[in-house]
Amino acid sequence: MVKRTRLMRSQELIYEMRVAEVMTKDVVTVTPKTSMSKFGDILRSKRISGTPVVSGGFLVGIISIEDFINWLEKGSKKARVKQCMTEKVITVFDDEPLAQVISKLEHYRYGRLPVIDRDSKKLVGLVTNGDIIEGLLHKVERVHNEEEIRRHQASNIFDDIIVDQTTLIYEYRVIGKDFKQAGAGTSRLRKTLSRLEIHPQVLRRAAIVAYEAEMNIVIYTDGGDLFAKVEPGMITIVARDKGPGIENIELALTPGYSTAEDWVRQLGFGAGMGLCNIKKVSDEMFLDSSVDDGTRLEARIAI
Amino acid sequence: MTLREIAELLDAEVLVGEDKLDMEIERVCVTDLMSEALVFSQPGALLLTGLTNPQTVRTAEVAELRAVCFVRGRRPPDETIELAREKGIPLLCTPVLMYDSCGLLYNRDLQGCSPER
Amino acid sequence: MTVKEMIQGADLEVKAAANCLDTEVTGGYSGDLISAVIANAEEGNVWITWHVHPNIVAAALVVKLAAIILISGRQPEEETVKKADEEGIPILVSKQPAFAIIGKLNNMGIMGEK
Repeated sequence: MVKRTRLMRSQELIYEMRVAEVMTKDVVTVTPKTSMSKFGDILRSKRISGTPVVSGGFLVGIISIEDFINWLEKGSKKARVKQCMTEKVITVFDDEPLAQVISKLEHYRYGRLPVIDRDSKKLVGLVTNGDIIEGLLHKVERVHNEEEIRRHQASNIFDDIIVDQTTLIYEYRVIGKDFKQAGAGTSRLRKTLSRLEIHPQVLRRAAIVAYEAEMNIVIYTDGGDLFAKVEPGMITIVARDKGPGIENIELALTPGYSTAEDWVRQLGFGAGMGLCNIKKVSDEMFLDSSVDDGTRLEARIAI
Repeated sequence: MTLREIAELLDAEVLVGEDKLDMEIERVCVTDLMSEALVFSQPGALLLTGLTNPQTVRTAEVAELRAVCFVRGRRPPDETIELAREKGIPLLCTPVLMYDSCGLLYNRDLQGCSPER
Repeated sequence: MTVKEMIQGADLEVKAAANCLDTEVTGGYSGDLISAVIANAEEGNVWITWHVHPNIVAAALVVKLAAIILISGRQPEEETVKKADEEGIPILVSKQPAFAIIGKLNNMGIMGEK
């Protein structure tokens, strides 16, 4: 009996989730006939910076606080929304994937986009950056992990997505020589990745890479950082420290070769397998090290 | 074979996971090297080891091993027990040596962990 | 039981000191900490380990082990073979993991603790 496990990556979320799942449905609107002074009152009382303009359920324009200011400066007192609004509106359909919305928001540098029902063509909601962040967070249940939230403010996550379109980055600090805490970063990373519904075998490999890399930082250095980047088709784990560096990389990659002190060996590590293990379970490994600058290890696992 | 049966067979004390003794164990990974346990084990195995530091629990977590049994009567330090509780990984402690533990378990429908690839 | 009989019974392959297989096996020891082997193994024991570096021969000499068995298809390093040949410590290998090898040896009557 073969049970097919669905491969769902974090970045797939923004392809899989639809606008309708995250949009705000309760939208304040005005009609073309609404007077501009009334529109001003609405902005003030609802504390919003613009509204869609709707006629008979259909979107006919959009009007913002900027239009209101322009009107205050030079408009006629009796003007209505119709004369001041922008008629050409960029919209999204409610069944479009979030990725589409993110790229539209980014491209036009808008803070919000009206959402249209594809069939009826009527306005059904409004979507903002905030809605998307909240929706994604909710989906990956990150809200429960306070520590990660602290490290990665919601806006940050959104920045990551914007910058690379589809990438999530996690970062963990590793304390050198602290054998008791060692592995805590891996543990958190593992938990996060499992929430993203990464395939179990990929998850296990990523965890092994992260753990061996973290142990190397703990054993040999005064501390460093562990990063995990999740993007379409790839998890990249980077371990970085500030020294002392590896004198002979080729030798360090020889199975069984180790410079570990005895206390490390007594703890079941330092058998000269760590780097070999990382190489073995990852698809690609890069190791840069200098005695002055420390070591940077990068391992990639295809998903 | 259940963890309870293993504990009885090895005369082991259950340090963590009294409530999880009914879990089925099919494989045993025998080693004192955590790097070996990481790569040469299969998920769901019982880790039989002489090492008692918290990294045995971390290793079990990362490699998705189901439980850990310390051999030679070596009791783990408190931090190992605490971590195992936190992670929900059962810990056993047997007075039997690693070699003899394997001997006792071998004829009981359990398998070792062969290299993955 | 001699090392030679054990090799036949447990389907092991000889990698070093093939001329020293007549030693009587007194029991088995398993563990991957070299210091623990030195502290706990008995003379004439066969040691089941993952390690392949030359230090295992040194440990075997200290305890006067009958043989070393490498598990899971591990191969001894060149230097290890050389040293083992010199010192007459048989190095045996098996594709099986430790659990299966120990189980078999145990069934053949090679026990651990006396």
